[in-house]
Amino acid sequence: MSGERIKGILLQEAYITRRSLEVIVDLFYTSAITVVAFGFVSRFLVGVTNPHTGSYLILGLLLWEVIRVNQYSLSVGSLWNIWSHNLSNMFVAPLSVTEYIVAHMLSALLKTLVTFCGICMIAAWGFHFDVLQMGVANLMLFFANLTVFAWSVGLVLLGVIFQIGPRIQALAWGTVFLFQPLTAAFFPLSALPPAVRAVAYALPPTFVFEAARGALGVPGTNWLYVGIAAAENVVYFALAASAFAWMLARSRASGRLARAEG
Amino acid sequence: MPVETLLEVHNLVKVFHGRPAVDGVSFTIPKGRIVGLLGPNGAGKTTTIHMLLGLITPTSGRIAYFGREFSRHRRECLERINFASSFNTLQGRISVWENLAVFAHLYGLRRPRAKIESLASYFGITEMLHARYWDLSAGQRTRVNLIKALLNDPELILMDEPTAALDPDIADKTLALIEEIRDTSGVSILYTSHDMHEVTRICDDVIFLDRGRIFAHDSPLGLTKRIRTATLTLTFDGDQAIVERLLTERGQRFRFTHPYAVSIETTEQVIPSLVFDVGEAGVWITGIDVKKPTLEDVFLSIARGGSRVG
Repeated sequence: MSGERIKGILLQEAYITRRSLEVIVDLFYTSAITVVAFGFVSRFLVGVTNPHTGSYLILGLLLWEVIRVNQYSLSVGSLWNIWSHNLSNMFVAPLSVTEYIVAHMLSALLKTLVTFCGICMIAAWGFHFDVLQMGVANLMLFFANLTVFAWSVGLVLLGVIFQIGPRIQALAWGTVFLFQPLTAAFFPLSALPPAVRAVAYALPPTFVFEAARGALGVPGTNWLYVGIAAAENVVYFALAASAFAWMLARSRASGRLARAEG
Repeated sequence: MPVETLLEVHNLVKVFHGRPAVDGVSFTIPKGRIVGLLGPNGAGKTTTIHMLLGLITPTSGRIAYFGREFSRHRRECLERINFASSFNTLQGRISVWENLAVFAHLYGLRRPRAKIESLASYFGITEMLHARYWDLSAGQRTRVNLIKALLNDPELILMDEPTAALDPDIADKTLALIEEIRDTSGVSILYTSHDMHEVTRICDDVIFLDRGRIFAHDSPLGLTKRIRTATLTLTFDGDQAIVERLLTERGQRFRFTHPYAVSIETTEQVIPSLVFDVGEAGVWITGIDVKKPTLEDVFLSIARGGSRVG
Protein backbone atom coordinates (compact mmCIF):
# COMPACT_ATOMS: atom_id res chain seq x y z
CA MET A 1 0.00 0.00 0.00
CA SER A 2 1.45 3.34 -1.04
CA GLY A 3 0.80 6.49 0.96
CA GLU A 4 1.77 8.55 -2.06
CA ARG A 5 -0.98 7.06 -4.22
CA ILE A 6 -3.54 7.36 -1.42
CA LYS A 7 -2.49 10.99 -1.09
CA GLY A 8 -3.11 11.40 -4.83
CA ILE A 9 -6.72 10.26 -4.50
CA LEU A 10 -7.22 12.41 -1.40
CA LEU A 11 -5.88 15.39 -3.32
CA GLN A 12 -8.31 14.72 -6.15
CA GLU A 13 -11.18 14.49 -3.68
CA ALA A 14 -10.14 17.77 -2.07
CA TYR A 15 -9.88 19.53 -5.43
CA ILE A 16 -13.28 18.23 -6.59
CA THR A 17 -15.00 19.04 -3.30
CA ARG A 18 -13.64 22.57 -3.35
CA ARG A 19 -14.92 23.13 -6.89
CA SER A 20 -18.26 21.31 -6.62
CA LEU A 21 -21.34 23.13 -5.45
CA GLU A 22 -23.17 19.77 -5.60
CA VAL A 23 -20.94 18.23 -2.96
CA ILE A 24 -21.11 21.29 -0.76
CA VAL A 25 -24.92 21.29 -1.02
CA ASP A 26 -25.36 17.51 -0.65
CA LEU A 27 -23.09 17.26 2.35
CA PHE A 28 -22.60 20.43 4.31
CA TYR A 29 -25.65 22.48 3.34
CA THR A 30 -28.16 19.60 3.56
CA SER A 31 -26.77 18.51 6.91
CA ALA A 32 -26.82 22.03 8.31
CA ILE A 33 -30.36 22.82 7.15
CA THR A 34 -31.69 19.46 8.35
CA VAL A 35 -30.22 19.92 11.81
CA VAL A 36 -31.75 23.38 11.99
CA ALA A 37 -35.17 21.98 11.00
CA PHE A 38 -34.85 19.06 13.42
CA GLY A 39 -33.66 21.48 16.08
CA PHE A 40 -36.88 23.47 15.86
CA VAL A 41 -38.98 20.30 15.83
CA SER A 42 -37.18 19.03 18.91
CA ARG A 43 -37.64 22.40 20.64
CA PHE A 44 -41.36 22.16 19.87
CA LEU A 45 -41.57 18.59 21.14
CA VAL A 46 -39.94 19.46 24.46
CA GLY A 47 -43.00 21.47 25.35
CA VAL A 48 -45.65 18.96 24.30
CA THR A 49 -44.30 15.50 25.05
CA ASN A 50 -41.64 13.56 26.96
CA PRO A 51 -38.71 15.96 27.46
CA HIS A 52 -36.32 13.37 26.07
CA THR A 53 -38.16 13.05 22.77
CA GLY A 54 -36.71 16.23 21.35
CA SER A 55 -33.21 15.21 22.38
CA TYR A 56 -33.63 11.77 20.83
CA LEU A 57 -34.63 13.38 17.59
CA ILE A 58 -31.70 15.75 17.34
CA LEU A 59 -29.24 13.11 18.59
CA GLY A 60 -30.58 10.65 16.04
CA LEU A 61 -30.13 13.16 13.28
CA LEU A 62 -26.55 14.04 14.26
CA LEU A 63 -25.58 10.37 14.32
CA TRP A 64 -27.56 9.58 11.17
CA GLU A 65 -25.51 12.14 9.30
CA VAL A 66 -22.39 10.11 10.15
CA ILE A 67 -23.88 7.26 8.12
CA ARG A 68 -25.25 9.39 5.30
CA VAL A 69 -22.18 11.53 4.69
CA ASN A 70 -19.73 8.64 4.93
CA GLN A 71 -21.73 6.43 2.58
CA TYR A 72 -22.46 9.22 0.11
CA SER A 73 -18.82 10.26 -0.03
CA LEU A 74 -17.55 6.74 -0.57
CA SER A 75 -20.01 5.92 -3.35
CA VAL A 76 -20.18 9.27 -5.11
CA GLY A 77 -16.40 9.78 -5.08
CA SER A 78 -16.06 7.27 -7.91
CA LEU A 79 -19.04 8.66 -9.78
CA TRP A 80 -17.12 11.91 -10.27
CA ASN A 81 -14.50 9.94 -12.17
CA ILE A 82 -17.13 8.05 -14.16
CA TRP A 83 -18.97 11.26 -15.09
CA SER A 84 -15.68 12.83 -16.19
CA HIS A 85 -14.61 9.77 -18.25
CA ASN A 86 -11.57 9.62 -15.99
CA LEU A 87 -12.12 6.26 -14.30
CA SER A 88 -10.04 4.36 -16.87
CA ASN A 89 -7.16 6.78 -16.37
CA MET A 90 -7.28 6.07 -12.64
CA PHE A 91 -7.44 2.29 -13.01
CA VAL A 92 -4.61 2.10 -15.54
CA ALA A 93 -2.33 3.98 -13.15
CA PRO A 94 -0.33 1.74 -10.79
CA LEU A 95 -3.02 2.15 -8.16
CA SER A 96 -4.35 -0.93 -6.43
CA VAL A 97 -8.05 -1.30 -5.79
CA THR A 98 -7.30 -1.48 -2.07
CA GLU A 99 -5.45 1.85 -2.22
CA TYR A 100 -8.31 3.37 -4.18
CA ILE A 101 -10.93 2.20 -1.69
CA VAL A 102 -8.88 3.09 1.39
CA ALA A 103 -8.33 6.58 -0.01
CA HIS A 104 -12.04 7.05 -0.62
CA MET A 105 -12.84 5.78 2.87
CA LEU A 106 -10.38 8.26 4.38
CA SER A 107 -11.83 11.03 2.25
CA ALA A 108 -15.34 10.07 3.37
CA LEU A 109 -14.17 10.05 6.99
CA LEU A 110 -12.65 13.52 6.67
CA LYS A 111 -15.78 14.95 5.08
CA THR A 112 -17.91 13.32 7.76
CA LEU A 113 -15.75 14.69 10.55
CA VAL A 114 -15.98 18.21 9.15
CA THR A 115 -19.75 17.95 8.61
CA PHE A 116 -20.35 16.31 11.97
CA CYS A 117 -18.36 18.97 13.85
CA GLY A 118 -20.28 21.67 11.99
CA ILE A 119 -23.74 20.28 12.74
CA CYS A 120 -22.82 19.53 16.34
CA MET A 121 -21.86 23.15 16.75
CA ILE A 122 -25.18 24.26 15.22
CA ALA A 123 -27.01 21.90 17.58
CA ALA A 124 -25.07 23.24 20.55
CA TRP A 125 -25.34 26.93 19.75
CA GLY A 126 -28.79 26.98 18.21
CA PHE A 127 -30.63 24.39 20.25
CA HIS A 128 -28.58 23.85 23.41
CA PHE A 129 -27.93 20.22 22.57
CA ASP A 130 -24.47 19.08 23.59
CA VAL A 131 -23.55 15.83 21.87
CA LEU A 132 -20.67 15.43 24.32
CA GLN A 133 -23.12 14.86 27.17
CA MET A 134 -22.98 11.20 26.08
CA GLY A 135 -19.28 11.23 26.88
CA VAL A 136 -16.34 11.48 24.50
CA ALA A 137 -15.66 7.73 24.63
CA ASN A 138 -19.26 6.94 23.73
CA LEU A 139 -19.21 9.44 20.91
CA MET A 140 -16.04 7.93 19.45
CA LEU A 141 -17.38 4.39 19.71
CA PHE A 142 -20.69 5.35 18.12
CA PHE A 143 -18.98 7.37 15.40
CA ALA A 144 -16.62 4.50 14.56
CA ASN A 145 -19.40 1.92 14.40
CA LEU A 146 -21.63 4.08 12.24
CA THR A 147 -18.70 4.90 9.96
CA VAL A 148 -17.83 1.25 9.37
CA PHE A 149 -21.47 0.43 8.65
CA ALA A 150 -21.66 3.33 6.16
CA TRP A 151 -18.48 2.13 4.46
CA SER A 152 -19.99 -1.36 4.12
CA VAL A 153 -23.10 0.05 2.44
CA GLY A 154 -20.98 2.38 0.31
CA LEU A 155 -18.71 -0.45 -0.82
CA VAL A 156 -21.63 -2.60 -1.93
CA LEU A 157 -23.20 0.31 -3.81
CA LEU A 158 -19.87 1.11 -5.45
CA GLY A 159 -19.58 -2.50 -6.57
CA VAL A 160 -23.11 -2.33 -8.00
CA ILE A 161 -22.24 0.87 -9.88
CA PHE A 162 -19.10 -0.76 -11.32
CA GLN A 163 -21.03 -3.86 -12.30
CA ILE A 164 -24.20 -2.31 -13.69
CA GLY A 165 -23.01 1.15 -14.68
CA PRO A 166 -23.90 4.69 -13.70
CA ARG A 167 -27.53 4.30 -14.75
CA ILE A 168 -28.28 3.15 -11.21
CA GLN A 169 -26.33 6.06 -9.72
CA ALA A 170 -29.39 7.31 -7.81
CA LEU A 171 -28.85 4.35 -5.49
CA ALA A 172 -25.61 6.00 -4.39
CA TRP A 173 -27.48 8.64 -2.45
CA GLY A 174 -30.91 7.05 -2.07
CA THR A 175 -30.36 3.54 -0.75
CA VAL A 176 -29.03 4.52 2.66
CA PHE A 177 -32.37 6.07 3.65
CA LEU A 178 -33.81 2.57 3.71
CA PHE A 179 -31.90 2.11 6.95
CA GLN A 180 -33.27 5.23 8.60
CA PRO A 181 -36.54 3.66 9.78
CA LEU A 182 -35.10 0.16 9.99
CA THR A 183 -32.42 1.18 12.49
CA ALA A 184 -34.78 3.29 14.59
CA ALA A 185 -32.59 6.32 14.11
CA PHE A 186 -35.01 8.88 15.55
CA PHE A 187 -37.18 6.88 17.91
CA PRO A 188 -36.87 4.03 20.42
CA LEU A 189 -36.61 0.57 18.95
CA SER A 190 -39.83 -0.35 20.80
CA ALA A 191 -41.74 1.87 18.38
CA LEU A 192 -41.08 -0.60 15.56
CA PRO A 193 -43.46 -3.49 14.88
CA PRO A 194 -42.02 -6.80 16.14
CA ALA A 195 -41.33 -8.16 12.65
CA VAL A 196 -39.39 -5.04 11.64
CA ARG A 197 -37.63 -5.07 14.99
CA ALA A 198 -36.16 -8.46 14.12
CA VAL A 199 -34.63 -6.89 11.01
CA ALA A 200 -33.42 -3.93 13.05
CA TYR A 201 -31.50 -6.22 15.38
CA ALA A 202 -29.49 -7.43 12.42
CA LEU A 203 -28.26 -3.88 11.72
CA PRO A 204 -25.37 -2.37 13.71
CA PRO A 205 -26.72 1.22 13.77
CA THR A 206 -29.80 0.03 15.68
CA PHE A 207 -27.61 -0.81 18.67
CA VAL A 208 -25.68 2.41 18.32
CA PHE A 209 -28.82 4.55 18.29
CA GLU A 210 -30.27 2.65 21.25
CA ALA A 211 -27.01 2.94 23.18
CA ALA A 212 -26.76 6.64 22.35
CA ARG A 213 -30.29 7.36 23.57
CA GLY A 214 -29.50 5.40 26.72
CA ALA A 215 -26.30 7.36 27.25
CA LEU A 216 -28.27 10.63 27.29
CA GLY A 217 -30.19 9.49 30.36
CA VAL A 218 -27.66 7.32 32.17
CA PRO A 219 -23.95 8.09 31.91
CA GLY A 220 -21.71 5.20 30.92
CA THR A 221 -21.17 2.93 27.97
CA ASN A 222 -23.54 0.16 27.00
CA TRP A 223 -20.78 -2.27 26.16
CA LEU A 224 -23.19 -5.00 25.20
CA TYR A 225 -24.79 -2.88 22.48
CA VAL A 226 -21.47 -1.42 21.35
CA GLY A 227 -20.02 -4.92 21.23
CA ILE A 228 -22.93 -6.33 19.22
CA ALA A 229 -22.71 -3.41 16.79
CA ALA A 230 -18.96 -3.90 16.40
CA ALA A 231 -19.31 -7.65 15.86
CA GLU A 232 -22.04 -7.15 13.25
CA ASN A 233 -19.92 -4.48 11.60
CA VAL A 234 -16.97 -6.86 11.30
CA VAL A 235 -19.22 -9.38 9.57
CA TYR A 236 -20.89 -6.80 7.33
CA PHE A 237 -17.64 -5.15 6.34
CA ALA A 238 -16.07 -8.50 5.45
CA LEU A 239 -19.14 -9.40 3.40
CA ALA A 240 -19.19 -5.97 1.74
CA ALA A 241 -15.49 -6.17 0.84
CA SER A 242 -15.99 -9.64 -0.62
CA ALA A 243 -19.07 -8.55 -2.53
CA PHE A 244 -17.21 -5.50 -3.87
CA ALA A 245 -14.24 -7.62 -4.98
CA TRP A 246 -16.60 -10.10 -6.66
CA MET A 247 -18.57 -7.38 -8.45
CA LEU A 248 -15.40 -5.61 -9.56
CA ALA A 249 -14.03 -8.88 -10.97
CA ARG A 250 -17.35 -9.46 -12.74
CA SER A 251 -17.34 -5.96 -14.20
CA ARG A 252 -13.79 -6.50 -15.46
CA ALA A 253 -14.81 -9.81 -16.99
CA SER A 254 -17.96 -8.45 -18.61
CA GLY A 255 -16.25 -5.28 -19.85
CA ARG A 256 -18.64 -3.08 -17.87
CA LEU A 257 -15.84 -1.40 -15.94
CA ALA A 258 -14.30 -0.17 -19.17
CA ARG A 259 -17.69 0.90 -20.50
CA ALA A 260 -18.88 2.44 -17.23
CA GLU A 261 -17.91 5.92 -18.31
CA GLY A 262 -19.85 5.64 -21.53
CA MET B 1 22.20 -7.17 -30.52
CA PRO B 2 18.60 -8.38 -30.06
CA VAL B 3 15.90 -5.72 -29.78
CA GLU B 4 14.19 -5.67 -26.41
CA THR B 5 10.53 -6.73 -26.46
CA LEU B 6 8.36 -4.44 -24.35
CA LEU B 7 5.02 -6.13 -24.84
CA GLU B 8 4.31 -9.72 -25.68
CA VAL B 9 0.74 -10.82 -26.35
CA HIS B 10 0.14 -14.51 -26.86
CA ASN B 11 -3.11 -16.09 -28.03
CA LEU B 12 -5.31 -13.48 -26.37
CA VAL B 13 -8.99 -14.36 -26.33
CA LYS B 14 -12.03 -12.49 -25.03
CA VAL B 15 -15.48 -13.97 -25.31
CA PHE B 16 -18.57 -11.87 -24.58
CA HIS B 17 -21.86 -13.76 -24.32
CA GLY B 18 -20.48 -16.72 -26.23
CA ARG B 19 -19.14 -14.59 -29.10
CA PRO B 20 -15.40 -14.03 -29.43
CA ALA B 21 -14.59 -10.30 -29.53
CA VAL B 22 -10.87 -11.06 -29.63
CA ASP B 23 -9.87 -14.46 -30.92
CA GLY B 24 -6.32 -15.71 -30.54
CA VAL B 25 -4.44 -12.45 -31.01
CA SER B 26 -0.66 -12.66 -30.71
CA PHE B 27 1.92 -9.96 -31.36
CA THR B 28 4.92 -8.25 -29.84
CA ILE B 29 6.02 -4.64 -29.59
CA PRO B 30 9.79 -4.14 -29.75
CA LYS B 31 11.49 -1.19 -28.11
CA GLY B 32 11.28 2.06 -30.06
CA ARG B 33 8.57 0.94 -32.49
CA ILE B 34 5.16 2.44 -33.17
CA VAL B 35 2.70 -0.31 -33.90
CA GLY B 36 -0.72 0.51 -35.32
CA LEU B 37 -3.74 -1.54 -34.40
CA LEU B 38 -6.28 -1.12 -37.17
CA GLY B 39 -9.57 -2.58 -38.15
CA PRO B 40 -13.18 -1.76 -38.85
CA ASN B 41 -15.67 -1.05 -36.07
CA GLY B 42 -16.17 -4.13 -33.91
CA ALA B 43 -12.83 -5.63 -34.98
CA GLY B 44 -11.70 -5.91 -31.35
CA LYS B 45 -9.20 -3.04 -31.17
CA THR B 46 -10.56 -1.34 -28.07
CA THR B 47 -11.25 -4.65 -26.32
CA THR B 48 -7.62 -5.60 -26.98
CA ILE B 49 -6.35 -2.28 -25.60
CA HIS B 50 -8.59 -2.62 -22.54
CA MET B 51 -7.23 -6.11 -21.86
CA LEU B 52 -3.69 -4.81 -22.24
CA LEU B 53 -4.49 -2.18 -19.62
CA GLY B 54 -6.21 -4.55 -17.20
CA LEU B 55 -9.62 -2.92 -17.57
CA ILE B 56 -11.03 -6.11 -19.07
CA THR B 57 -10.04 -9.59 -17.91
CA PRO B 58 -9.09 -11.84 -20.84
CA THR B 59 -10.92 -15.14 -21.25
CA SER B 60 -7.56 -16.74 -21.96
CA GLY B 61 -4.12 -15.87 -23.28
CA ARG B 62 -1.02 -14.24 -21.95
CA ILE B 63 0.08 -10.62 -21.67
CA ALA B 64 3.63 -9.83 -20.59
CA TYR B 65 5.26 -6.42 -20.27
CA PHE B 66 9.04 -6.26 -20.05
CA GLY B 67 9.11 -10.03 -19.69
CA ARG B 68 6.76 -10.04 -16.70
CA GLU B 69 3.29 -11.53 -16.56
CA PHE B 70 0.83 -8.63 -16.42
CA SER B 71 -1.70 -10.55 -14.34
CA ARG B 72 0.88 -11.22 -11.62
CA HIS B 73 2.90 -7.99 -11.79
CA ARG B 74 0.16 -5.50 -12.58
CA ARG B 75 1.53 -2.57 -10.58
CA GLU B 76 5.13 -2.99 -11.77
CA CYS B 77 3.96 -3.12 -15.38
CA LEU B 78 1.61 -0.13 -15.08
CA GLU B 79 4.41 1.95 -13.55
CA ARG B 80 6.32 1.66 -16.82
CA ILE B 81 3.50 2.20 -19.33
CA ASN B 82 0.79 4.81 -19.83
CA PHE B 83 -2.38 5.43 -21.75
CA ALA B 84 -3.94 8.23 -23.80
CA SER B 85 -7.32 8.18 -25.48
CA SER B 86 -9.68 10.67 -27.01
CA PHE B 87 -12.49 8.76 -25.30
CA ASN B 88 -11.13 9.36 -21.81
CA THR B 89 -10.74 12.80 -20.38
CA LEU B 90 -9.47 14.12 -17.09
CA GLN B 91 -11.57 15.65 -14.32
CA GLY B 92 -13.39 18.51 -15.98
CA ARG B 93 -14.07 20.78 -13.05
CA ILE B 94 -10.57 20.88 -11.61
CA SER B 95 -7.58 22.62 -13.15
CA VAL B 96 -5.03 21.12 -15.50
CA TRP B 97 -2.39 21.49 -12.82
CA GLU B 98 -4.56 19.77 -10.22
CA ASN B 99 -5.32 16.89 -12.59
CA LEU B 100 -1.68 16.39 -13.39
CA ALA B 101 -0.68 16.68 -9.74
CA VAL B 102 -3.08 13.84 -8.90
CA PHE B 103 -1.53 11.58 -11.54
CA ALA B 104 1.96 12.62 -10.50
CA HIS B 105 1.18 11.19 -7.07
CA LEU B 106 -0.42 8.06 -8.54
CA TYR B 107 2.74 7.43 -10.57
CA GLY B 108 4.95 8.23 -7.58
CA LEU B 109 6.90 11.08 -9.20
CA ARG B 110 9.72 12.40 -7.05
CA ARG B 111 9.64 15.99 -8.34
CA PRO B 112 6.12 16.42 -9.71
CA ARG B 113 6.22 20.21 -10.00
CA ALA B 114 9.37 20.23 -12.13
CA LYS B 115 8.08 17.41 -14.33
CA ILE B 116 4.68 19.01 -14.92
CA GLU B 117 6.22 22.40 -15.65
CA SER B 118 8.74 20.92 -18.05
CA LEU B 119 6.12 18.93 -19.98
CA ALA B 120 3.70 21.88 -20.01
CA SER B 121 6.42 24.03 -21.47
CA TYR B 122 7.28 21.37 -24.08
CA PHE B 123 3.64 21.11 -25.14
CA GLY B 124 3.09 24.88 -25.01
CA ILE B 125 0.35 24.93 -22.40
CA THR B 126 2.13 26.60 -19.49
CA GLU B 127 -0.32 29.47 -19.46
CA MET B 128 -3.25 27.03 -19.26
CA LEU B 129 -2.04 25.07 -16.26
CA HIS B 130 -4.44 26.81 -13.92
CA ALA B 131 -7.42 26.74 -16.28
CA ARG B 132 -10.16 24.24 -15.62
CA TYR B 133 -9.81 21.18 -17.84
CA TRP B 134 -13.33 21.53 -19.28
CA ASP B 135 -12.58 25.12 -20.33
CA LEU B 136 -9.88 23.89 -22.75
CA SER B 137 -10.37 23.32 -26.47
CA ALA B 138 -10.25 19.77 -27.86
CA GLY B 139 -6.69 20.31 -29.07
CA GLN B 140 -5.56 21.64 -25.72
CA ARG B 141 -7.18 18.72 -23.91
CA THR B 142 -5.36 16.30 -26.20
CA ARG B 143 -2.07 17.93 -25.29
CA VAL B 144 -2.91 17.68 -21.59
CA ASN B 145 -3.82 14.01 -22.06
CA LEU B 146 -0.46 13.47 -23.72
CA ILE B 147 1.28 15.19 -20.81
CA LYS B 148 -0.54 12.84 -18.44
CA ALA B 149 0.59 9.93 -20.60
CA LEU B 150 4.21 11.08 -20.37
CA LEU B 151 4.34 11.95 -16.66
CA ASN B 152 6.01 8.69 -15.63
CA ASP B 153 8.49 8.60 -18.55
CA PRO B 154 6.78 5.47 -19.89
CA GLU B 155 8.61 3.00 -22.05
CA LEU B 156 5.35 2.12 -23.81
CA ILE B 157 2.24 4.23 -24.40
CA LEU B 158 -1.06 2.75 -25.47
CA MET B 159 -2.98 5.29 -27.53
CA ASP B 160 -6.62 4.67 -28.40
CA GLU B 161 -7.55 6.97 -31.29
CA PRO B 162 -5.88 10.01 -29.70
CA THR B 163 -6.83 12.33 -32.56
CA ALA B 164 -10.42 11.12 -33.04
CA ALA B 165 -12.12 14.28 -31.83
CA LEU B 166 -9.75 16.75 -33.44
CA ASP B 167 -10.02 18.88 -36.55
CA PRO B 168 -7.43 18.09 -39.26
CA ASP B 169 -5.09 20.93 -38.33
CA ILE B 170 -4.96 20.05 -34.63
CA ALA B 171 -4.77 16.33 -35.49
CA ASP B 172 -1.75 17.08 -37.68
CA LYS B 173 -0.06 19.03 -34.89
CA THR B 174 -0.82 16.25 -32.44
CA LEU B 175 0.72 13.70 -34.77
CA ALA B 176 3.79 15.88 -35.11
CA LEU B 177 4.04 15.92 -31.32
CA ILE B 178 3.74 12.13 -31.17
CA GLU B 179 6.47 11.79 -33.79
CA GLU B 180 8.62 14.17 -31.80
CA ILE B 181 8.02 12.21 -28.59
CA ARG B 182 9.00 9.03 -30.38
CA ASP B 183 12.13 10.60 -31.85
CA THR B 184 13.29 12.29 -28.65
CA SER B 185 12.36 9.75 -26.00
CA GLY B 186 12.47 6.49 -27.94
CA VAL B 187 9.15 5.47 -26.43
CA SER B 188 7.21 2.64 -28.04
CA ILE B 189 3.59 3.19 -28.91
CA LEU B 190 0.63 0.95 -29.62
CA TYR B 191 -1.66 3.15 -31.67
CA THR B 192 -5.25 2.50 -32.70
CA SER B 193 -6.86 4.65 -35.34
CA HIS B 194 -9.31 4.66 -38.20
CA ASP B 195 -7.24 7.23 -40.07
CA MET B 196 -5.04 5.48 -42.61
CA HIS B 197 -2.98 8.59 -43.34
CA GLU B 198 -2.05 8.84 -39.67
CA VAL B 199 -1.07 5.22 -39.53
CA THR B 200 0.95 5.38 -42.72
CA ARG B 201 2.68 8.46 -41.38
CA ILE B 202 3.69 7.34 -37.92
CA CYS B 203 3.52 3.55 -37.62
CA ASP B 204 6.45 1.22 -38.23
CA ASP B 205 4.21 -1.85 -38.16
CA VAL B 206 0.51 -2.32 -38.66
CA ILE B 207 -1.72 -5.04 -37.26
CA PHE B 208 -5.04 -5.42 -39.02
CA LEU B 209 -7.77 -6.87 -36.86
CA ASP B 210 -10.99 -8.15 -38.31
CA ARG B 211 -13.70 -9.89 -36.30
CA GLY B 212 -11.29 -10.37 -33.43
CA ARG B 213 -8.51 -12.01 -35.43
CA ILE B 214 -5.27 -10.68 -36.83
CA PHE B 215 -5.83 -10.49 -40.55
CA ALA B 216 -2.47 -9.05 -41.48
CA HIS B 217 0.65 -7.87 -39.68
CA ASP B 218 3.26 -6.02 -41.67
CA SER B 219 4.82 -2.63 -42.33
CA PRO B 220 2.48 -0.09 -44.02
CA LEU B 221 4.46 -0.58 -47.26
CA GLY B 222 4.32 -4.35 -46.96
CA LEU B 223 0.57 -4.23 -46.48
CA THR B 224 -0.05 -2.03 -49.50
CA LYS B 225 2.07 -4.38 -51.58
CA ARG B 226 -0.41 -7.12 -50.76
CA ILE B 227 -2.89 -5.45 -53.06
CA ARG B 228 -1.36 -6.33 -56.37
CA THR B 229 -3.53 -4.12 -58.53
CA ALA B 230 -2.84 -0.50 -59.37
CA THR B 231 -4.82 1.98 -61.43
CA LEU B 232 -3.09 3.27 -64.58
CA THR B 233 -4.65 6.28 -66.26
CA LEU B 234 -3.44 7.14 -69.74
CA THR B 235 -4.36 10.32 -71.58
CA PHE B 236 -3.56 10.21 -75.28
CA ASP B 237 -3.86 11.88 -78.65
CA GLY B 238 -4.98 9.26 -81.14
CA ASP B 239 -7.59 6.72 -82.12
CA GLN B 240 -9.62 5.38 -79.22
CA ALA B 241 -10.41 2.20 -81.15
CA ILE B 242 -6.73 1.27 -81.35
CA VAL B 243 -6.35 1.63 -77.60
CA GLU B 244 -9.53 -0.33 -76.97
CA ARG B 245 -8.45 -3.19 -79.26
CA LEU B 246 -4.99 -3.37 -77.75
CA LEU B 247 -6.23 -3.47 -74.17
CA THR B 248 -8.87 -6.06 -75.01
CA GLU B 249 -6.24 -8.25 -76.66
CA ARG B 250 -4.08 -7.92 -73.55
CA GLY B 251 -7.02 -8.97 -71.35
CA GLN B 252 -7.05 -5.75 -69.34
CA ARG B 253 -9.98 -4.32 -67.35
CA PHE B 254 -10.45 -0.74 -68.47
CA ARG B 255 -12.93 2.04 -69.09
CA PHE B 256 -12.71 5.27 -71.02
CA THR B 257 -13.28 8.19 -68.68
CA HIS B 258 -13.00 10.61 -71.61
CA PRO B 259 -12.58 10.06 -75.37
CA TYR B 260 -8.86 10.61 -74.84
CA ALA B 261 -8.40 9.08 -71.39
CA VAL B 262 -8.53 5.48 -70.26
CA SER B 263 -8.40 4.07 -66.77
CA ILE B 264 -6.90 0.56 -66.53
CA GLU B 265 -7.00 -1.62 -63.43
CA THR B 266 -3.94 -3.80 -63.72
CA THR B 267 -1.02 -5.29 -61.89
CA GLU B 268 2.00 -3.09 -61.23
CA GLN B 269 4.34 -5.41 -63.15
CA VAL B 270 2.61 -5.02 -66.52
CA ILE B 271 2.34 -1.21 -66.45
CA PRO B 272 5.65 -0.54 -68.31
CA SER B 273 4.85 -2.97 -71.12
CA LEU B 274 1.30 -1.62 -71.47
CA VAL B 275 2.56 1.93 -71.85
CA PHE B 276 5.18 0.77 -74.34
CA ASP B 277 2.63 -1.21 -76.41
CA VAL B 278 0.16 1.68 -76.61
CA GLY B 279 2.96 3.95 -77.82
CA GLU B 280 4.15 1.36 -80.32
CA ALA B 281 0.59 1.14 -81.71
CA GLY B 282 0.94 4.73 -82.91
CA VAL B 283 -0.99 6.43 -80.14
CA TRP B 284 0.65 9.55 -78.75
CA ILE B 285 0.59 9.32 -74.94
CA THR B 286 0.21 12.76 -73.39
CA GLY B 287 -0.14 11.76 -69.74
CA ILE B 288 0.54 8.81 -67.42
CA ASP B 289 -0.82 8.52 -63.91
CA VAL B 290 -0.33 5.49 -61.69
CA LYS B 291 -2.38 5.24 -58.53
CA LYS B 292 -0.85 2.70 -56.19
CA PRO B 293 -2.92 1.09 -53.43
CA THR B 294 -2.91 2.88 -50.09
CA LEU B 295 -3.36 1.52 -46.61
CA GLU B 296 -6.92 2.76 -46.88
CA ASP B 297 -7.46 0.41 -49.82
CA VAL B 298 -6.16 -2.44 -47.69
CA PHE B 299 -8.44 -1.39 -44.85
CA LEU B 300 -11.47 -1.14 -47.15
CA SER B 301 -10.60 -4.43 -48.76
CA ILE B 302 -10.50 -6.14 -45.37
CA ALA B 303 -13.63 -4.40 -44.17
CA ARG B 304 -15.47 -5.52 -47.33
CA GLY B 305 -14.32 -9.10 -47.34
CA GLY B 306 -10.61 -9.13 -48.09
CA SER B 307 -10.86 -10.38 -51.65
CA ARG B 308 -8.13 -8.11 -52.98
CA VAL B 309 -5.58 -8.66 -50.25
CA GLY B 310 -2.96 -11.20 -51.10
